[in-house]
Amino acid sequence: MKTIMLVCSAGMSTSLLVTKMQKSAEAKGIEADIFAISASEVDSTLQKKNIDVLLLGPQVRFMKPQFEKKLKGQNIPVEAINMQDYGLMKGENVLEAALKLIDNK
Amino acid sequence: MVDENLDMISFQMISNVGTARSLAMEALFAAKGGDYALAEEKLEESNKYFVEGHRVHAGLIQKEASGDKVEFSLLFMHAEDQLMSTETIVLLVKEMVEMYKRLNK
Repeated sequence: MKTIMLVCSAGMSTSLLVTKMQKSAEAKGIEADIFAISASEVDSTLQKKNIDVLLLGPQVRFMKPQFEKKLKGQNIPVEAINMQDYGLMKGENVLEAALKLIDNK
Repeated sequence: MVDENLDMISFQMISNVGTARSLAMEALFAAKGGDYALAEEKLEESNKYFVEGHRVHAGLIQKEASGDKVEFSLLFMHAEDQLMSTETIVLLVKEMVEMYKRLNK
């Protein structure tokens, strides 16, 4: 099971992307727990859940150094979602990018 | 207008103005670190994405003005919210960069 966490400013736009990613994972037979939260919920969510990768929406991309610092030494990659994939809601591409990050860690 | 189309437009807005917002924040971080050239560069780049997001939005407004009613959606409202907050952030960041310059003279 791979756990992918998406973060954006309200957790709203990304949740639509999550649906697309889940569909893509299902179609490929990949077991994945994919969910979206707002930037303000990151701390409390990390206390409750173990995640494999953290993806950032374009509107919170600037928080990347902050999250990297927070997750230092935990082997959880932090990456911004490609804005083209985000803008066109390409769930499949985002899922692939996430899986690649997990494989490469 | 088909719902899915409005979703796509919303996502394109969020993706563009969201990137613009991140770049504005990165400009502020650069100014904080004393790198004003980088701050200017980031603000210029930010403006390009903002204009693109704005263009997408203006297209919808014109459509409605010409009598073709645009369906309302929560996601679209969220996209407009991102547009407005980014506009505010950029305006303030520009002033704050000037303030850092004066402070560190």
